[in-house]
Amino acid sequence: MEVAMKYLAIAITMLAVMPSAIGEGLVVSHAVDGIARNPDVYKKLRTTMILGCSLVETTAIYALLIAILLLFVAK
Amino acid sequence: MDIVAQLKSTELAGGVFTSMIVMLIMIILAIYIGIRAHFHDPLKKPKGILLIAEMGVTFFEDFAEGLLGKRFRIFGGYLMAIGVYLFLAFIFGLTGLPSPMTTLSVPLSLGLSTFILIHATAAKYNKIRYFKRYVEPLPFFLPVNLISMWAPLLSLTLRLFGNALSGFVIMNIVYYALQNLSAMVFAAIEAPLNEVFIAPFIAWILHLYFDLFSGFIQTTVFLSLTTIYVGQETPDELLD
Repeated sequence: MEVAMKYLAIAITMLAVMPSAIGEGLVVSHAVDGIARNPDVYKKLRTTMILGCSLVETTAIYALLIAILLLFVAK
Repeated sequence: MDIVAQLKSTELAGGVFTSMIVMLIMIILAIYIGIRAHFHDPLKKPKGILLIAEMGVTFFEDFAEGLLGKRFRIFGGYLMAIGVYLFLAFIFGLTGLPSPMTTLSVPLSLGLSTFILIHATAAKYNKIRYFKRYVEPLPFFLPVNLISMWAPLLSLTLRLFGNALSGFVIMNIVYYALQNLSAMVFAAIEAPLNEVFIAPFIAWILHLYFDLFSGFIQTTVFLSLTTIYVGQETPDELLD
């Protein structure tokens, strides 16, 4: 029973990945909009986009970290 | 050897050990480049490793100047030290040993040094007004401000730690799966030998992502965040 609760907790933790993925999609979609409007800024925008993506990704990484801690450390 | 026996008996985490190796590589490189630069004729063109070092110094000084202003050009030294250490530490996972970032104390000390730098810069430029931020907008907010003060440290530390650890764990899972798969496919060969055939052909792609690409991105993010946090604390009239 307790093991089942642990895995349930991990599953709930990983729900935090979903909004992070949506946010990342928004970042990329707006970047693509900007490039479609003005193709010259492609190089500048790519760097900023990857930076923004990795900042948004941080939330998902926190969730993954907590999930890993729950999986291996929590009794 | 006395030192080797002593090192074997100490219970250091793997990440601290590899961090020492990375630092040793950096010290040797720094001494070598320093000697080369000392005996180099400044009127001639630099070659080889000296050229790379000079390009790096210029790049990081321009990076600091672009985000902080001309007066903070000297800040490039800190950025370059942190950047080179971070990138070497991340790609150290390619050797198969655990990357230094997988032990919490290593990213924590990096985050702590940036955190201290942020507050030292703030105290230097705001003088006594530095303490005013803890009682804003009302003195009633003091406990809240004292807690939220630690947010940059936590976010900087856990970003590095989480990234490296998740990559490390996923790689270990992949290696475990590929070992078992190889043992199943090449069942005709005897036991310890048949586990090594599939992993080298598949795992390198994932290493490319989790160590090289992720390490590069995280280094960039850490440096940008450091400069942005420090730039927040400096008064605007210095930024021209």
